[in-house]
Amino acid sequence: MRRVPSQRTVLSLIIFGLIGWMVGCAVSASNTTFFGKTNPPPDNVLRYVSGSEPESLDPQIPTGQPEARICMALYEGLTEYDPKTTAPIPALAERWEVNKDSSEFTFHLRHNARFSNGDPITAHDFVYTFRRGLNPETAARNASLAYYIKYAEAFNESAVFVFDPKSNQYLLEQDFETEAESSSSATSGQSQPAAPAQPKKAKPKPLTSQPATIAEEYPPNPEETTPDADTPFHRFLHSPERLVVPGDEKDRKKALDANPKLKAAITGKQFVPVKAEDIGVEAVDDYTFRVCLTQPAPFFISLMPHQFFRVVNQKTIEKFKDAWADPRNIVTSGPFKVQTYKPYDRIVTVRDPMYWDAANVKLDGITFFALQDNTTIMNLYKAGELDAMLNHTVPAPWLDVIKPFKDFMDAPEAAIDFYLFNTTKGPTSDVRVRKALNMSIDKAAYANWRHIKPLTALTPEGIFPGYPQPKGDAFDPDKAKQLMIAAGYRDASGKFDPAKFPTDQCELTTNPDGANLQIAEFIQAQWKQNLGLTIPIKIMEFKTFLVAQSKLDYKGIARNGWIADYMDPFNFLWLYYTPAGNNGTGWWDPKYVEILDEANRTIDHQKRYELLAKAEALALEAQPTIPLSTAATRWMKKPYVKGMYPNPQTLHAWKWVYIEHDPAKWDYAVPSMTASVAGG
Amino acid sequence: MLRFIIRRIIVIIPMLFIILSLTWGLIRLAPGNFYTGEKKLAPAVEANLRAKYGLDKAWYVQYGRVLWNMARFDFGTSLKYEGQSVNQILWRAFPVSAALGFSAYLIALVVGITTGTLAALRQNSWIDYASMALAMIGISIPNFVLGPLLILFFGLTLFWLPPALWDGFPSKSLVLPAITLSAIYIAYIARLTRSGMLEVMRSDYIRTARAKGLTEGRVVTRHALRGGLLPVVSFSGPALAFLITGTVVVERVFAIPGLGNYFINACFNRDEPLIIGIVAFIAVAVLGFNLLVDIAYGFMDPRIRY
Repeated sequence: MRRVPSQRTVLSLIIFGLIGWMVGCAVSASNTTFFGKTNPPPDNVLRYVSGSEPESLDPQIPTGQPEARICMALYEGLTEYDPKTTAPIPALAERWEVNKDSSEFTFHLRHNARFSNGDPITAHDFVYTFRRGLNPETAARNASLAYYIKYAEAFNESAVFVFDPKSNQYLLEQDFETEAESSSSATSGQSQPAAPAQPKKAKPKPLTSQPATIAEEYPPNPEETTPDADTPFHRFLHSPERLVVPGDEKDRKKALDANPKLKAAITGKQFVPVKAEDIGVEAVDDYTFRVCLTQPAPFFISLMPHQFFRVVNQKTIEKFKDAWADPRNIVTSGPFKVQTYKPYDRIVTVRDPMYWDAANVKLDGITFFALQDNTTIMNLYKAGELDAMLNHTVPAPWLDVIKPFKDFMDAPEAAIDFYLFNTTKGPTSDVRVRKALNMSIDKAAYANWRHIKPLTALTPEGIFPGYPQPKGDAFDPDKAKQLMIAAGYRDASGKFDPAKFPTDQCELTTNPDGANLQIAEFIQAQWKQNLGLTIPIKIMEFKTFLVAQSKLDYKGIARNGWIADYMDPFNFLWLYYTPAGNNGTGWWDPKYVEILDEANRTIDHQKRYELLAKAEALALEAQPTIPLSTAATRWMKKPYVKGMYPNPQTLHAWKWVYIEHDPAKWDYAVPSMTASVAGG
Repeated sequence: MLRFIIRRIIVIIPMLFIILSLTWGLIRLAPGNFYTGEKKLAPAVEANLRAKYGLDKAWYVQYGRVLWNMARFDFGTSLKYEGQSVNQILWRAFPVSAALGFSAYLIALVVGITTGTLAALRQNSWIDYASMALAMIGISIPNFVLGPLLILFFGLTLFWLPPALWDGFPSKSLVLPAITLSAIYIAYIARLTRSGMLEVMRSDYIRTARAKGLTEGRVVTRHALRGGLLPVVSFSGPALAFLITGTVVVERVFAIPGLGNYFINACFNRDEPLIIGIVAFIAVAVLGFNLLVDIAYGFMDPRIRY
């Protein structure tokens, strides 16, 4: 009888065959200068991965960076991000003037800008855009970015003015300043901790609350021969700020009950809803746009490239309402316009011939792919199906393999990773415990493992040139133990006793996405090694985790991160401006807020930086967080893609990106980032 | 038979009601909202959002509204993706998943039935052992391992096929995901066919057919297969229903814009209308396919009467 191979033999042959093939694959992976296939696409269309599927093509609705990149191609704003530094450079605004305390900005628009349907872009379109974004019915998630504009927050909150029919005057904010101080801050409307006992010294009023002629208000400018008109609306804005109370009956009752003086003054008066026409934006003429802020904000110009402030077409929105961003109806204002949109797949855009600078737009089009899985993105890139990708795509375990390739874009980012402390309850409410836990992590080892730069402060390191960033506490496990002893966790002989520390009230909460879990395990090992403490890790699904974090519902420590909305250290220090909102720690100090306000009133750039650093140092003394690292950009682009730089926000002005077909002119390393004036 | 079919169709309605109510309840119980994000919203902005989507009403009002809309087949608009109605999304995503699912199942049927039949006819030969061994491997390797292995070999080493994305139907981008999806079904169908055929080949009416003088091929295709494939048919019903309504892992690995991808993202995004819409769709598909399978049984096995 013929001997037949048994089932077991066949099975083992197949398995060994598979293993042999896999080993062969690994061995034969060839080592070249660039990762994967590097052939420029035959047509002049860039294939880019922007990130997860965009929530909408309407620039005022979505909040994330994936949408930002697409909106940067489709829409244009007053200023644009410089390709190398992301500092604001002129876009639809040719030039602008700032008043003496940075509380008012006047933009002069170019005369030849057009929408994709041929309509001219004027200052009135910007007025409409700002008003629409702040309209409560639009429910724009980024509306809070515009709260610096006068009466913008009131309009977005559907608040009301208080009008006295007898004196024919509106009640003014300044009359209720000391009690209303806490509710006049431009951010959170939630209840604040009790104000300090002694009366606060009154905040100096911004120039925008005082009547002044244009000539007095603005520094002299030899180029502007005719000063801008001082319109009645401008005079209205420059009158002292009107009092604003919540529009909803229940909220109003709560606010009034808390403030008897206010309640007495309000009785018998009329409530006038804050309208869109009241907010501090004005079209002085067809090509002059003026914005009046409620407080000095020198960083306001850096906010203007954000997609929320990019101009949208009024006629289209009024005609199609919620469906205006549908590819059949959409009208855009940027260098590219939408050709097709296949959700969860790709958005195909082409150069817009109506764009004012279309002659200088080098690409014929951009195809944006909506992909989330980093491995899939890297695979497509290697197979030559993609030309460039968004940031944080190279998975951390791949870094050792990818680093030697010349198309790896690595640069520091305006983003930080840190752990929050719950300062309101548990052992972490003691600042000594917080400092001890912070000091017992070897951040240099952590940074080495993650191939990034360690961080000890609250703002990203090396991102803001000239910023005198204070240094936080260094790695010192002995001092950490001393602090723990002082906090009371000691045994009879006075030595630090880890067993005394209540680890049931202190855990490290994180969501498992990305490398978060590995990082948490690393930090946990650090504490075990340097303090002898085992702090348990708690894993939560992402949205569940966010809810717990914002309600301060976590025990001890929680993971967090922050990416800059605009290029200014204030955006990172602003997190602790109020105890709620994006704070997440419960720490709040009025002295900190005072220093920040003073910094924003300062004209001199360097002095302002020094004040911001002073505030940062103050916060570091209270140690509300454990700073971990400044993020790195970690993405890849093919060498034939030029004009794209690993800037700190990974936001690219697409009009200057082009595909180079001559291999001699390719980028054989990270392209030089020395700041230069962009423009061609 | 007709009365049976009508009865089954009517039962779908209360079943849908229960399934969708449970789904809605679970979504509401889960913490987080469609607008919860790393950057917290200002309270006024959050209030505006809740008012816009009717989230500020009492829960029973919202539940009632959801039921009323479902009765009219109006699943609303996605909370996460402004301006896209759920029906639009289903209309767009379903053909992709269906194309992928049907292709995968077709491959599975052809390869599985052939292999299983050959194995049954040549029992205890090397064909039998090899195919059952491969079937064992197919069942054991999860598709999130098999998929990347295929991508690595065919996509990134040989560069024959695209490693991801969907270029429409039919195209090169269909091959790898269809093969990945079909692997486990080839394995199951092969084994089911083999055992079904083995059983049938021993029965009396096959001996009769051979005795009548028919060729072996005729015996197998015209007489044995009908009975031998019954297990495959009952397996196919729910398997096909789940295949065409989207398979999450394969769609994620290959970045295919199908229902599975939409569904998993909707769950992560807490996108209530979309979740309910997709669950309703899958429920109807599963119930419908089960009904089709039962009808097919009636045709394939003359002993079955409803």
